[in-house]
Amino acid sequence: MQERKIPRMFSDRAVCYFFLFPTLVLLLFLLVYPFLSLIYNSFFRYSVLRAAVPAKFIGFNNYLFFLTDDYTWRRFVFTGKFVLLAVSIQFFLGVGIAYLFQTKFKGRDVIFTMILMPMMLSPIVVGLFWKYMFNTEWGLVNYLLSLVGLPAVDWLGNPTYSLWATIIADTWMWTPFTILLAMAAFSGIPKSLYEAADVDGASGAFKFFNVTLPLSAPVLIIALLLRLIDSFKQFDLFYALTGGGPGDATQTVSFQLYKTAFQYFYTGEASALGMILLIIIIGLSSIFIRYLTSLGEKQSA
Amino acid sequence: MEESNTLTLKRFIILAVIAVWVVFAMAPLVWLFMSSLKTRLDLFSMPPKFIFKPTLHGYEALFITTYADGTRKVSEIIGTMFNSILIAGMGTILAVALGTMSGYAASRFEFKAKGDFMFFVLSTRMLPAVAVLVSFHIMYARLGLADTRFGMILLYILVNIGLATWIMKGFFDGVPRDLEEVALVNGYSRLWAFRKLVLPMVKGGIAATTGFCFIFAWNEFTFASIITTTRAKTLPVRISAALGKEGLDWAMVAAAGILLIIPIVVLFYLIRKHLLMGMTFGVLGKKE
Repeated sequence: MQERKIPRMFSDRAVCYFFLFPTLVLLLFLLVYPFLSLIYNSFFRYSVLRAAVPAKFIGFNNYLFFLTDDYTWRRFVFTGKFVLLAVSIQFFLGVGIAYLFQTKFKGRDVIFTMILMPMMLSPIVVGLFWKYMFNTEWGLVNYLLSLVGLPAVDWLGNPTYSLWATIIADTWMWTPFTILLAMAAFSGIPKSLYEAADVDGASGAFKFFNVTLPLSAPVLIIALLLRLIDSFKQFDLFYALTGGGPGDATQTVSFQLYKTAFQYFYTGEASALGMILLIIIIGLSSIFIRYLTSLGEKQSA
Repeated sequence: MEESNTLTLKRFIILAVIAVWVVFAMAPLVWLFMSSLKTRLDLFSMPPKFIFKPTLHGYEALFITTYADGTRKVSEIIGTMFNSILIAGMGTILAVALGTMSGYAASRFEFKAKGDFMFFVLSTRMLPAVAVLVSFHIMYARLGLADTRFGMILLYILVNIGLATWIMKGFFDGVPRDLEEVALVNGYSRLWAFRKLVLPMVKGGIAATTGFCFIFAWNEFTFASIITTTRAKTLPVRISAALGKEGLDWAMVAAAGILLIIPIVVLFYLIRKHLLMGMTFGVLGKKE
């Protein structure tokens, strides 16, 4: 009861600012300078490797270069292809598995943890190990194909197949994320709605399309947007699995940016491409956040 | 009980499909584990060997470097592991601590530009590492933070703080405000109420947040690959060094993969009860 006597030393206002202060300071300290320097450098011809050479102001030329460069456009097209294919496959698989997982069975907890495991592995290990499994000489994947009578596939040596190799590895790793989000969405649906449908003798498919899907749609759309953003900016898996190859067939925009910045050390150009990528991601994110906020308002209404 | 009797066929099909997925998800992991125990010869045999004499050579290669003259030394991986544990650990703990504080403030108080603040915090979650890496590289070099553990800890707080704030705000929203109001009316301080009444109620949230933040920090590669070179090198960077080498020692890569995933699996199994809630609050910013 001693503590009861302690006078209220801090007003709520003080506590509020005291609690927000560290986060705000850290974010501002770490983000303001990089962001400004990204914008600044994007207008210059400059390389960190040749710091002695003065940076030359060239206006929007770095941007114009990328926006009119065929090679860069092909990187965008590949990135778009990868994102659309990988994310839609993962979405349908993830939602489907999560729905089936509503069934109760023995050992469900353990199985659930097992299903999530691919997403716990480091993307670098995932990339490297799939590279091992996709190998044409000793890889497990082609061996399994041969068991069912299918021809061997040159997974990492052929541009078309290497796109699918990245999609397969990405799907293996990130479908669990959609499963997890979809499970969270489904768990928010009131049981009474299913019971009511049962009383009316509704079929499983009817329940899925008329109860589950409409009620979990907002959350599922969020899962979709998050996966779009994450896979669009993905870099590490490609780095380890294909290294952008064969040639530059699987080189995404992120990968091109990484190479521009840290292989050729064209700092100015890399900053411009970084800004372009950032603007696209900010555009996607603001759709996402606006959607999220409108959802929150609907909920509290 | 009723279900399992009347819908046997349907149930069987559902469980079969789940089983197929579990096999697809687990097979590469099992193969990874088996590969970590294989000799060089077994690793490259075709058809692949499912039954073989296990060896710890991969793990040994990871920990012990054998030089050309036959001398053996404990490899630098011990230091790398220490870096990873310290950087990911501290980065996670601090991100969760800061996220808990700002999440509480965002849940309980009204302040200027709160919507903008939450928007800004969440947008850090979307930040493409590669895009800002050029600038971080320059800033860290100028500040003397390049290749330091401190600099990496700061980065991993940055990577995780948005997620931590959102998850924790969601959990705090779920704790009734009356709890603190009663304490305040009775003369307790806000800080006391926060520490003694509210915090114990969001333990699950803290557990879930810790799990999500740790998985990011522990596996992060893009930042680490550029910011760290030797002193602050982390495990994913160390493993990527195997890339591009001829005659890559796959057993060693597999062994490293197994070592990397163990702490995460243990952590996730411990917090599995809080995972779905954490996901709901953090990623969706949603109240239940």
